[in-house]
Amino acid sequence: MSYIEVNGLKKTFTVRKKREKGKLFREKQTVEALKGVSFSVEKGELVGYIGPNGAGKSTTVKILSGILTPDGGEALVGGRVPWLERREYVKHIGVVFGQRSQLWWDVPIVDSFSLLKDIYRLSAADYESRLKELTEALQLEEFLRTPLRLLSLGQRMRAELCGSLLHRPELLFLDEPTIGLDAVSKLALRDFLKWENAEHGTTIMLTTHDMEDIAALCSRVMVLGHGQKLYDGTLPELLEKFDTVRTVSVKYDGALPDIKLPEGISFERGENELSITYAPSVFPTAKLLATLQEAGRISEMTLQPENIDRLIAAMYKEMDL
Amino acid sequence: MMNTLKLYVKSMGMLIRSHMQYTSSFIMQMLAQLVMEGGEMMAVILVVDRFGSLKQWTGGNLFFFFGMMSVSFYTTEIFGRGITGNFPSMVRSGQLDTLLIRPRTIFFQVLCSGTDPRRITCIAVGVASLIMGSAMSGVVWSLPKALALAESILMSCMLILGLFLIEAIFSIHSVKSVELVNAITYGGRSACQYPIDVYPGPLKVLFTVVAPFALTMHVPAAYILGKPLYGWPAWTAFVTPLSGAAVLAVMIVLFNRGMRFYRSTGS
Repeated sequence: MSYIEVNGLKKTFTVRKKREKGKLFREKQTVEALKGVSFSVEKGELVGYIGPNGAGKSTTVKILSGILTPDGGEALVGGRVPWLERREYVKHIGVVFGQRSQLWWDVPIVDSFSLLKDIYRLSAADYESRLKELTEALQLEEFLRTPLRLLSLGQRMRAELCGSLLHRPELLFLDEPTIGLDAVSKLALRDFLKWENAEHGTTIMLTTHDMEDIAALCSRVMVLGHGQKLYDGTLPELLEKFDTVRTVSVKYDGALPDIKLPEGISFERGENELSITYAPSVFPTAKLLATLQEAGRISEMTLQPENIDRLIAAMYKEMDL
Repeated sequence: MMNTLKLYVKSMGMLIRSHMQYTSSFIMQMLAQLVMEGGEMMAVILVVDRFGSLKQWTGGNLFFFFGMMSVSFYTTEIFGRGITGNFPSMVRSGQLDTLLIRPRTIFFQVLCSGTDPRRITCIAVGVASLIMGSAMSGVVWSLPKALALAESILMSCMLILGLFLIEAIFSIHSVKSVELVNAITYGGRSACQYPIDVYPGPLKVLFTVVAPFALTMHVPAAYILGKPLYGWPAWTAFVTPLSGAAVLAVMIVLFNRGMRFYRSTGS
């Protein structure tokens, strides 16, 4: 049996609509956030969970971390049902919300950590050694005495990570951890997660909108849309299906010549630049190059793969999300 | 148990230090509270000055009743601010999620999440009023009377906490209930600063059966003042206040049941 077993998980929310004129009560509307999602995750896996806003990612994370009770289906994590034995269960997991702080705002972060030590009933020795290890790995030593509110977003996220790993959880949930971070902070965060996963075998499940997170971290990616699981596999395999077009920009010596391109190839004419988007599988690259060369003397040319975010957008579109 | 108590004390210490980060605003607000609670007491002073007494209660008696309410109500606000103040906004902002991922009960964690040390000035006014009232009424203190006072304050605090839990339970179901619940919490505070028997029937029922301030506060206070309420025997002054613990216990059960319907917020 796998470490995480999820079977047919369902969750509906009732939303009250705006009251219509002439009616006494507001009408209710049910929204199916999850329509029977199933998957399993092995111990030590690093899994990415993607999907557009409102797809049900956070709902899944909240159910698996014991915050919400599902309306149907089963979930077993390490042999426990999250929402039934919440207090026992959460000792073994850590959760980081990208948009919600779990540390105390106005006090030095080390005071927050020390309170967490008591909340999780950690022994002094355990706490000291783990704190030392995490502050080194996350480069937090110099901020330990600084109140959370004075830290930058990147520093704060590192502090949150430290706080959620003090009790050595077997499983770590990250809900949009890189949201709003700068490039350096993102890279540091990814390196840390890789280290934690390799060093302690911590199973990590993260939701994100940043494809670079997935590309850098996750051996496996799940796509969720409209409350259903649409894909489960590796990122390269997922992209291959949608990674069909290339963009070429060409500059010529002198004025742009008139080029006749076959139908189905879109191009934009700039002042002295031509940018062509084509699918190599339909129109071979060699043929395109020949056509371009015939037209005049090429001075500059770049060939780009499709942007990863565009690919995901295309994928969401194709999956009708 | 020890660990839980330690955690509570540590959380409170941390919250107080957080408040102290903004020293000048803290002092200003403390003074504002003093003026406010002083104003409340002034109302009682005016009643006493104008009428001398209210039914069988002398001015000194009225100060005593007022003091009981102030001390109980604001002690609850200091130790239970998480319930009396923060909880509905924690639900609305989704901050409650962060408590659900900790291996502790929600009620305890919410209790640890707030305090309002500024209320200390209100308690000071209440204590002054208690001392004044007891001296003016010529109370002869004995061990049973001191015990009755301590029990009454403790049980009243539990009652007030229980009443505020009603609002918390409503807010889990995302129902805004403030006005309705305020009628018995803040309304109860204002009304029950005066002994229950000065009120007409319906209010008597409200504050004896629904929100039993009369049982936790007025019965023992009347015993201490040597004018037993309704002529009830002395032992009732030790038994009726237990209704405060009963209300709190029932509300905690309902609160825990309500948490199963918690639906969090989007992110």
